[in-house]
Amino acid sequence: MARAKRRRYPRVYRHLSAYLMLTPAIILLIIFVIIPILYGFYLSFHRWDGFNSPVFIGTRNYIRLIERDDVFLKAVTNTIIFAISVVLVKNVLGLFLALLVNQKIKGVIFFRTALFLPVTLSFVVIGLLWSWIYNPTFGLLNAGLELVGLDSLIRAWLSDQATALGAIITVDIWKWTGFHMVLFLAGLQSIPKDLYEVAIIDGASAWTRLTRITLPLLAPVTFISVLLSLNGAFVRNFELVFVMTDGGPNHTTEVVLTHLVTQAFRFGKLGYASAMGFALFVVVAVIAFSYIRIGRSGTYNF
Amino acid sequence: MATAAGPRNPESFPDLFSRLLSDRLKLLLVYAILIAATVQTIYPLFWMVFGSLKTDADLFNNVWGPPRTMIWQNYVDAWRIADLGARIGNSVIITILSLSVLLIVSSIAAYALARLQFPGRQAIFLIILATMMIPSEVTVIPLFIVVRTLGILNSRFGLVFVYAGTSMAFSIFLLRGFFMSIPPELEDAALVDGANRLQVFWYVVLPLARPGLATVAIFQGMFFWNEFFLAFIFIRQAELQTIPLGLVNFFYRYSADWTLYFAALSMVTIPVIVLYVAMQRWFIEGLTAGAVKS
Repeated sequence: MARAKRRRYPRVYRHLSAYLMLTPAIILLIIFVIIPILYGFYLSFHRWDGFNSPVFIGTRNYIRLIERDDVFLKAVTNTIIFAISVVLVKNVLGLFLALLVNQKIKGVIFFRTALFLPVTLSFVVIGLLWSWIYNPTFGLLNAGLELVGLDSLIRAWLSDQATALGAIITVDIWKWTGFHMVLFLAGLQSIPKDLYEVAIIDGASAWTRLTRITLPLLAPVTFISVLLSLNGAFVRNFELVFVMTDGGPNHTTEVVLTHLVTQAFRFGKLGYASAMGFALFVVVAVIAFSYIRIGRSGTYNF
Repeated sequence: MATAAGPRNPESFPDLFSRLLSDRLKLLLVYAILIAATVQTIYPLFWMVFGSLKTDADLFNNVWGPPRTMIWQNYVDAWRIADLGARIGNSVIITILSLSVLLIVSSIAAYALARLQFPGRQAIFLIILATMMIPSEVTVIPLFIVVRTLGILNSRFGLVFVYAGTSMAFSIFLLRGFFMSIPPELEDAALVDGANRLQVFWYVVLPLARPGLATVAIFQGMFFWNEFFLAFIFIRQAELQTIPLGLVNFFYRYSADWTLYFAALSMVTIPVIVLYVAMQRWFIEGLTAGAVKS
């Protein structure tokens, strides 16, 4: 009946209304997402200070990035270290905590609420707070080490080249572990309980239950959890680095985004910075899409 | 659990005892780990509030403990010097406007993609899927030029459209999923009664999709409220700054007024924590459902 009624409208009109409904969204997408991607690709082959007209220089920006910019190479290394360690640790810790909270114990809601709390705070708030925790004169960390007699470990965490990057990575993990814990917890609670009961009767050990029941059935959630941490791992590092060390000491915490912003807005090298941005874009896109491809062919389907 | 195997396979007393003991120990260990994790999550926030009420001397000499005397004046001074009132106002305006633009535009588009058949539907959806995975950070330079060309650099409006535009794909994707889970019979009935598509959307679909809209609102609202990177690039005038920008600015402009920094940070953080604790189920579900649905 509904179908008969709809046929009263000419086809064009029906399509027109669909396009009209999509137009505002598509305009915003084109202006703020698609044009920037294409324009960034165009700019990456130019030398440009942002005011005079851009000068075409072919692939020289890219060649310079690889051959002559030591800071960029350092930033790339740091970005990769950052990405790999946060993806690994957030997910492993999150899963571990979820397994603990998932038992029949009191206070689950309390632990869940408390551990999730940092997710709601901004990177700036957390970055400032932790740079004070690491502060050598009144910081919580050094005072704590002194308290338990580990005086030898005391140092200026953020200005020590050996620890600065690790200190920042720790903060990112601190912020997000609760998020991944909640994801895994939801996954754990959707596993039917009788599977475990049967396994216990069959005499399966806790380890066997974990590796043969829990982890395989958790695969879809694991896929999403890793995807989410992966998606931000290469770019959601600017705020913490900017607030806590601004790339220092001696570029030991420089990441691609901080280097890009410095080149663009401090030195006015917009073409060069665009090349950096486009390189980062390609890396992020390739990783995200190949991860999704692998995931789709495997256990999880969209 | 100990009794599950009991009737079939009776245990000797010592066996049962040692197992109960080890269960006890295991439980204790679980609690010890969870409490340690909780303390290291929560204590820094208490420490921040403690610091905000201390004198400078107290802050430096009594690092871990609560303040010896409460210096409420820190809050008054920090509020005034950091100009927090104006910054909070900017954050409120920008978050609300961005959410409004995003929710209106993306829900209409998501509905068209979920329900209507038209040439190019698949292509448009694929483009949205593809751009969803691209974080806006990587295109910040060309985005800056686009915003400058449009003449909306250094304007709250400009930032609102940047936020709405860069979150559009994700929001459409999420809402499309919600709309598709609503049974189409209700809409068909309304169409038969002579309502047009927009009326159906407004009066039938949107009320049913409220949980989906709430998810997007919490997920993106948090993001806009906390966002620093894009705001830092597009807003340079002090009087237009949002809270995160204002905090960084305050921190770099006034040197070594530590207790005031703690007070400023506490003032912007405590309301968020209170809101979160009051609505924690909403927050946790909104933030993770937003993630899982995709």
